Amino acid sequence: MTKNKTINWFKLNRTLHRDIGYLCVGLTLVFAISGIALNHIGDWNPNYIVERSEKSFLVNSKSTDAQLNKALLRLFPSTPPIKANYWESINQYKLFFDNGGAITVNFSKQTAVYEHIRARAVFKQFNSLHLNEAKKGWLVFSDIYAGLLIYLALSALFMVKGKYSAWRFKRGWLIIIGGAIPAVYIFM
Amino acid sequence: MNIIKKLSLLVFSLAAVSASVFAEELSFGKAVNEAVKVNISTLLASPEQYLEKEITISGTIVGVCSHQGCWVDIASDAKFEKLRIKVRDGEMVFPIHVKGRQALATGKLTAIELNLEQTKKHKTELAKRRGEKIEPESINETMSIYQLTPVGIKVLD
Repeated sequence: MTKNKTINWFKLNRTLHRDIGYLCVGLTLVFAISGIALNHIGDWNPNYIVERSEKSFLVNSKSTDAQLNKALLRLFPSTPPIKANYWESINQYKLFFDNGGAITVNFSKQTAVYEHIRARAVFKQFNSLHLNEAKKGWLVFSDIYAGLLIYLALSALFMVKGKYSAWRFKRGWLIIIGGAIPAVYIFM
Repeated sequence: MNIIKKLSLLVFSLAAVSASVFAEELSFGKAVNEAVKVNISTLLASPEQYLEKEITISGTIVGVCSHQGCWVDIASDAKFEKLRIKVRDGEMVFPIHVKGRQALATGKLTAIELNLEQTKKHKTELAKRRGEKIEPESINETMSIYQLTPVGIKVLD
């Protein structure tokens, strides 16, 4: 006796929704955390920590670049190797280091400010993925992820039967609100 | 391995990766065309000649937009002079740690018209940079400033 097998679409949808949901946990966290970080880019630097330390610097601007560099390295001994130097103006001299740090000398104020740059652990990597700074492979991967999110959203509409179904007003109003909020922002 | 150990390992790995990010050649957009290389000083001496033409400039990166990473300043071969490379927000994101590194950029020079007030302010700032003095009241003509809109940038290690 052969049993006629039919596909249980409801069960299949719930299984796929669950498994794809698990698959998307990591990427959702990456995009959500970096999304918050990048939303507030005007208030902080989400990629780097810039530490500044100011000291008085009494060397004359008529000194040679080599003399200035020597004096600056004496003032800030724990700097990485020098990368480049630049005269921003007659009163401002900049010395750049291997890690992107820099010393800015202001001869009129007689100060030297050392800016030390450190990448923020986790955020730097998350943000670079979010902004698609990585290579083309990531573009494909993030497109697939976006497709999976669309599936998760649509399949959620068919997860529950009965009075708590997305198609009954008891819970369906949540979908209306979720769609209305962006619509208000678009048309306002 | 408990969850704390696993998380510590993850954070440590990311920190290690972030340290390595500081030293590598970076490319943005299309490939740089070195055949159309022009000195920044030559460019800024007669910018009208180069408007809307594809050019490539090179020099040390002496400034980076610290928040959006949407511009970098390239030092000219002449003293106290630099040229800004500006992109629309998010088009290319220049990391802050590239300061001090050599860069090559291909793109088009664009002019930004200043009004009289902005011209006075800009010329006063330029004069101050060079250690010269000017009377802003004596300026009656407006000017333009120039920046490069890039299609490709290569930041050397």
